[in-house]
Amino acid sequence: MAHGLDIRRSSASVWGSLSGMRSVPTVSKYIDTTTCIGCKACEVACQEWNDLKPVATQQVGTYQTLPTLNPEYWNLIRFNERDFDGGIVWLMRKDQCMHCDEPGCLAACPAPGAIVQYDNGIVDVNPDQCIGCKYCETGCPFDVPRFSQTTGKMAKCTLCVDRVTVGLEPACVKSCPTGCLHFGTKEDMVELGHTRVAQLKQTGFANAVLYDPQGVGGTSVVTVLGHGDHPEWYGLPADPHVPLLVKLWKSVLRPIGVVALFGAVVGAFSHYTKFGRKEVRGTDSQDRNLPDA
Amino acid sequence: MSAVTPHRPVDPAVLAGQTRENIVVGDEIVRHDRRSRLIHWAVAAFFFLCVFTGMPIWTPLFGWMAHLFGGLSVCRVVHPWAGLAFFLASGAMFFQWVSDMHMEPNERGWLGPKLFQYLRYETEDEDVGKYNGGQKLLFWAAGLGAIGLLLSGLMMWFPQLIPRPLMAFAYLIHDFTFILFGVMIVFHIYLGTAAEPGTFGSMTRGTVTRPWARLHHPRWYREVTGEKPRRG
Repeated sequence: MAHGLDIRRSSASVWGSLSGMRSVPTVSKYIDTTTCIGCKACEVACQEWNDLKPVATQQVGTYQTLPTLNPEYWNLIRFNERDFDGGIVWLMRKDQCMHCDEPGCLAACPAPGAIVQYDNGIVDVNPDQCIGCKYCETGCPFDVPRFSQTTGKMAKCTLCVDRVTVGLEPACVKSCPTGCLHFGTKEDMVELGHTRVAQLKQTGFANAVLYDPQGVGGTSVVTVLGHGDHPEWYGLPADPHVPLLVKLWKSVLRPIGVVALFGAVVGAFSHYTKFGRKEVRGTDSQDRNLPDA
Repeated sequence: MSAVTPHRPVDPAVLAGQTRENIVVGDEIVRHDRRSRLIHWAVAAFFFLCVFTGMPIWTPLFGWMAHLFGGLSVCRVVHPWAGLAFFLASGAMFFQWVSDMHMEPNERGWLGPKLFQYLRYETEDEDVGKYNGGQKLLFWAAGLGAIGLLLSGLMMWFPQLIPRPLMAFAYLIHDFTFILFGVMIVFHIYLGTAAEPGTFGSMTRGTVTRPWARLHHPRWYREVTGEKPRRG
């Protein structure tokens, strides 16, 4: 997979729509939350590879580094505790861009080419086209894109597209010591996930699932959840979609509005051809009830 | 023996219109004093600034407008400030004109059949004052629209202060309000220029002719000139 940088989808554009010219597989990250030990090596690897500045940690009452993602921190292990079966489960989940097959950020973005989806499925922000309007925040069902005050642009995980296109795995995957992270074609990662889920079901995790939400067409980050009946325990939406109001805004109201505005102009011309001008008749002297000269 | 300097005086009606309106000067009537006209032109200027910086962000179909300003990122910076200026100018216009804009009971029909009769040039209403029902409706709709655009626009400017689910509503309201506003303004400009000769001068020189006033605003004409209603 040395290539894959053809554009599959591009924000505010009609070009690059699922060209399918090359035979490029969709890639995916694989995350197994059941074997994550919360070591945060992936967080460090992400900062290092992407040359992001060190960020001061914040105490949030758990081992979590920061309360949430930020424009200079694209990869965060979320620590959650839940009462379960009279005991406690301690859950760790790697939070980053999910690289949706149908990206809500891209749907909401008004700047042509500012958010693109490459042929290999990676969803990326082009900072040179981004205008910093933050519409993508509203489009994203996973609360991922972040606005950088420093650059005036949005920032998020790139799935290490610069590494992937030269045949390397993402930095986070490279650094993982337990093997809970893998990288490959989407097909292979889904197969790996199903194998792991079957294994988990035999070892007491009856509700284990592979989280690959179909509401957004599936994601290029597939996640094994031991407690798959409660994705919200991991901070994941149960059934993510591109928000309905965003679709209504972009796909319904916008075309109606364009037609209405052109219609108004056409209507005014049409009125003129049918009724002409409302002429002022009579002379000034008539108007003042004076006899004509 | 000094030569008389050739001198072209300011038209008396225009001179009067610098500070006064609703007065007859010769063959003309001052309809809008200079202050009214400047406020309206400020609203119009900021409106078009908003339109040309906003529409390319709305849809790439109007992306060419962004080139007038040096690209989409310039539009993104200019548009919120232009919007704020538009709202302030609209506020000034509101208070400038509101006293003339109270809807009268016989003007209710302007929301429906009267508007279409008017557009077919069928109305012979001797009771039209300085503004007709359609103009008053436009005034109130523009005021409401300016508020809707401001509130939704502020939310879009500072989304970090707004709960995420509300943001999608802000985008919808902003666009919906603009679409209605845009359709209204297309007809407003058309009626004020091509369709009704003599009207545009009230926004430039400030004056209209007597026959114009008699045709379009007969009651206002009588009030200004002191003439009796026409028979029959």
